Amino acid sequence: MDVLFITALLAATIRLGMAIGLAAIGEAASERSGVFNIGIEGIMLSGAFVAAWGSVRTGSPWLGVLFAMLIGILLAAIHAFMVLVLRIDQFVSGIGMVIFGLGFSSFAARLTIGAKPTSVHGLASLDFGAISHIPIVGPVLFGQSPLAYIALALAVGTGWVINRTAFGLEIRACGESTAVAETLAIPVKIRQTACILFGGATAGLGGAYLSVVQVDAFVENMVAGRGFLAVACVMLGRRRPVVAFLAALGFGLAEAVQIRMQTIYPDLPYQFLVILPYVAAIAALVLGHSRRRLETV
Amino acid sequence: MSEGMTRVIRVGVVFVVAALIPSLFVLVAGHNPWRVLETLLLYALGPQGWSEVLVHAIPLTLIGLGVAFAFRGGFFNIGADGQLIAGAVLAVFFAPYLDGWGIAGLLVFLILGSLGGAALGALAGYLRAWFGASEIIVTIMLNYVMVQMISYLIRGPMQETSRFWPQSYLIPENCFLPVIVQGTRLHAGLFVALAMVIAFAVIQRRTVLGFKSSVLGANPGAAAYAGFRTKILTVVVMAISGGLAGLAGAVEVGGIYQRLQDNMAEGFGLAGIAIALIARLEAAAIPLAACLFGIFFAGTGALQRELALPFPLVWIIEGAVIFAVAAVQWALPSRKAVA
Repeated sequence: MDVLFITALLAATIRLGMAIGLAAIGEAASERSGVFNIGIEGIMLSGAFVAAWGSVRTGSPWLGVLFAMLIGILLAAIHAFMVLVLRIDQFVSGIGMVIFGLGFSSFAARLTIGAKPTSVHGLASLDFGAISHIPIVGPVLFGQSPLAYIALALAVGTGWVINRTAFGLEIRACGESTAVAETLAIPVKIRQTACILFGGATAGLGGAYLSVVQVDAFVENMVAGRGFLAVACVMLGRRRPVVAFLAALGFGLAEAVQIRMQTIYPDLPYQFLVILPYVAAIAALVLGHSRRRLETV
Repeated sequence: MSEGMTRVIRVGVVFVVAALIPSLFVLVAGHNPWRVLETLLLYALGPQGWSEVLVHAIPLTLIGLGVAFAFRGGFFNIGADGQLIAGAVLAVFFAPYLDGWGIAGLLVFLILGSLGGAALGALAGYLRAWFGASEIIVTIMLNYVMVQMISYLIRGPMQETSRFWPQSYLIPENCFLPVIVQGTRLHAGLFVALAMVIAFAVIQRRTVLGFKSSVLGANPGAAAYAGFRTKILTVVVMAISGGLAGLAGAVEVGGIYQRLQDNMAEGFGLAGIAIALIARLEAAAIPLAACLFGIFFAGTGALQRELALPFPLVWIIEGAVIFAVAAVQWALPSRKAVA
């Protein structure tokens, strides 16, 4: 294990975990306010497509990213309407969103930018000059996509808002007990709507990250379970945005490791390596529980 | 305005909105929604299409029953896709040994399929009951794992003998589910699906297991207080749920594919959830909902062939149907909510 290898591995960890991490930040906020959204997967798919489409059409990946956020907010608004106004089961609405997102992204992609992977104007990584070339630290910390720094700021910012501000206290109250929050004259549904829409925006960003940073293309069903992994991250991080974000980087590490193992062990069937992040998610949920049990003892 | 009138209007609004969503996409794609609907229905209910609708409805019924069984016990089984693969793999793995067993071989083949799916369902139930791992996430993750496993098996140990195509060897002929209407693909799996609908209804209404799982779903605390062994019950409910999906896998192989291949019954798991919800977890309604989705799948295939409308339209329609049916519960508040 030399320096180059470790550098590449850590840089890849951040690159590969970021889409999950972005989605996890908003889902953590949403769940903290008391609304669960399993539909993140569908929103991320829609975001990935819209970002790719926007980037191809306008030539500007940033506009694509903006469109992805907007579609995320729009789809989250439907979820909010279903859950908060029509009082439909959160899980049912979320599953509807997964299926709809799958249909929307694939259908629209085949009609516009084509079913085959189309190359997209991607977002360039940042280059801070000299510090980006320091061994290990440079490429890992100072050579990422601008979206990665936005994600980090969002994770810390969201954690700060939820834990340290009056607004965050209200959000937590909504999530802990709707009845108590209402007694305190907190506009519960407005707070929850805000959190759901925020969740949609970050899920859209996560999808955009995939298509304009990680792959520079849109491929059907390219999210491949990352939305569900984001939900798993929120469970592992117990609805704390920063911890959920770190958990997402853990899945990024699993992905980075499995890709490298494919080249190190070419004789091993690659399928056994591809499943690593998914198996890691199951293992983490199982182990997370035993840790919880120890804490209560 | 009377309450009844309000409800009628609400239901009307729901259906109009549900029809508008796919229509909008069809319009944007440059087609006339009426003509698309006409093409879809003419094909699906026409001389060729009706049997294809039923061919799709067979596995969808089995999967829908499985998802509904878990729902009634209070669990979300989103892993039907993976359980279907597990069932198909286990059945095909042992199929060569069933050569010459005649009809008994077919029976064993189907039972093996159920066991494969049941094992995967039971695993999710076990992790949920003993370790508190969300069965939602675990079953989804197992889907991705199983897709890779079948990909490995049909390119590795279970590949056909010429080692060229990514598919498994053929199963022996006595494991085929015979075609029941000449000139179509409609096979005897139809009877398997109908038998399971009856079995599901009997288990839910007449057996202790059905009663206990319903109590567990309605009120886990009460189930524990009543002295039910809720952990084991969780595993059993998830095993049955997965077993039905696994059976669907064996039925698909025996009736359609006769071997393992990639993309078998892709996306049927999500459709199964939609079917269970639309049928409000009622046994008798599940095959009907499955036929509706059979129309979507078979009809959208025809749209792709005849009008070059991309097949993913089927997911847009399905999403709209889920939202619509869920919204009908809002429109008819007196009926009990699903799950």
